[in-house]
Amino acid sequence: MPIQVFEPHRAKLPPLAPYLKEVWRRRAFAMELARYSEKAEYLGSRLGAIWLVLNPLFLALVYFLLVTVIQGGKTNGFVTLAHILTGLFTFYLAQNCINAGAQSITSGGRLILNQAFPRTLLPLSSAISAVRQFAPTIPVYIAIIVVAKWVAPSTELPGWTWSFFFLPIIWLAVMVTSFGIALFFATFNVYFRDTSKLLTYIMRIWLYASPVLWLPEMLHGWHRSILYANPLGPVLAANAEIWINGHSPTAAQWWGILGWAFGAIALGGYVFTSRERNFAVQI
Amino acid sequence: MTNAISIENLSISYRVNIDTKKSLKNLVMRASKGEKVRTRVIEAVKNLNLEVPHGTALGIIGANGAGKSTLMRAIAGILPPTEGRITVDGNISTLLALGIGFNQALSGRDNIILGGLAAGLTKEQITAKVDEIAAFADLPAGFLDLPVRTYSAGMYSRIAFSVSVAMTPDILLIDEALATGDAAFKEKSLNRMKDLMGEARTIVIVSHAMGTISELCHKVAWLHQGKLIAFGPAKEVCNKYLEFLSVGKVPVALEDF
Repeated sequence: MPIQVFEPHRAKLPPLAPYLKEVWRRRAFAMELARYSEKAEYLGSRLGAIWLVLNPLFLALVYFLLVTVIQGGKTNGFVTLAHILTGLFTFYLAQNCINAGAQSITSGGRLILNQAFPRTLLPLSSAISAVRQFAPTIPVYIAIIVVAKWVAPSTELPGWTWSFFFLPIIWLAVMVTSFGIALFFATFNVYFRDTSKLLTYIMRIWLYASPVLWLPEMLHGWHRSILYANPLGPVLAANAEIWINGHSPTAAQWWGILGWAFGAIALGGYVFTSRERNFAVQI
Repeated sequence: MTNAISIENLSISYRVNIDTKKSLKNLVMRASKGEKVRTRVIEAVKNLNLEVPHGTALGIIGANGAGKSTLMRAIAGILPPTEGRITVDGNISTLLALGIGFNQALSGRDNIILGGLAAGLTKEQITAKVDEIAAFADLPAGFLDLPVRTYSAGMYSRIAFSVSVAMTPDILLIDEALATGDAAFKEKSLNRMKDLMGEARTIVIVSHAMGTISELCHKVAWLHQGKLIAFGPAKEVCNKYLEFLSVGKVPVALEDF
């Protein structure tokens, strides 16, 4: 029988090995919670899955028009549209993960008051949910890009290339980075309940500051640092490199991706787990 | 180790905001006016010592705000102690807040599975138990597969109670004010708790129903404003408490207990 000792703590990390072991033991809970909350959400709507594909598609069109108008009609046509489309749909993975994760603790109030379990399971479940919604849309976007090249061979798009095999690593990095960021905001949201409202503005600005509506090549000289100061900058730049240029990501991009993934998970993880035992008091 | 739960010098206090919600907006508004957010420290539990041997049924009684729920959550490891320590020997199952993460749009069956997973069961374990739990909850025909939002309060708490007792926990922590089933279900819950005790499991129950407490519990702890006023055989402590309720004064002789 397990003996547990509960003692006072000041904001500090729980013992990591038993903590992670407990998270792993209860992973089915995070998986099922993600599955069931999707089930609950889509109960009334058969169009749910189709909407997941159509939403970024429509938004990409809107942004494409916007960018075209702002640049006075001097865009690169279909290449620009393809770039916005692939960028947006990857950015949405991060955004869904961060938004849902940030609210997972405050909305799980009763669960938190009733059971002792590693609280990271709740934002983790949101992240799993974001991936589950993202995964089925991947083939659709690959098809769009590949078919576009086939229909209009004159575009500068590369069409199908072997560098597409780097994409799973890109998505994994997006997930890890945004999970770390979600942990950070989830903690913040417990202490300041309007954080999730603020987050809608942060995410909007974040989208504009990311190489989604503009190409990373548009930045020159020291302006390039903007790209690397953004946690999603390198990974979205690498994303564009693969989809639009047909190249594998550059070494600088890989370093940026690695740095932010580890940085975000370490910072978010520290902030969250060092305070999670206090969540029940605050809720 | 012979004690299921030992509590040494336990104090729990927390800070609450007096006049505003916790939000960035309020923080900024107040800072711009040069005001500080007013907070107050609430001492929910004060220097409490308690030992609960294995197989004991312990009742916790006391007025509202006596610190009963806080104590229960601390034993479950949900709330951290401010001072002192709690040692718990065994698996814990809890019924401390109603709607164990119950999603209103999901069916009772789905919620049983989620509740079991949240309590730490594996998927196989909870899948094997779903029918047993559903049978114990004994909802009116057809309700098990309807969304929980169509349930009455009683049906809701039946499900919650059934999930928490189905864990075959070593230690069961129940806030009985929540278990508001009808008379027949109350009888069934009592029998189930007696069965668990028969298997040398430990039960801690918070209740305002002196009848239930004196029938079920060996020992009773009476809390008043975070302090342990009396601890002893159920009948004895219950009588003291009832006397206090009619007189309205804490017996001085018991305060140093």
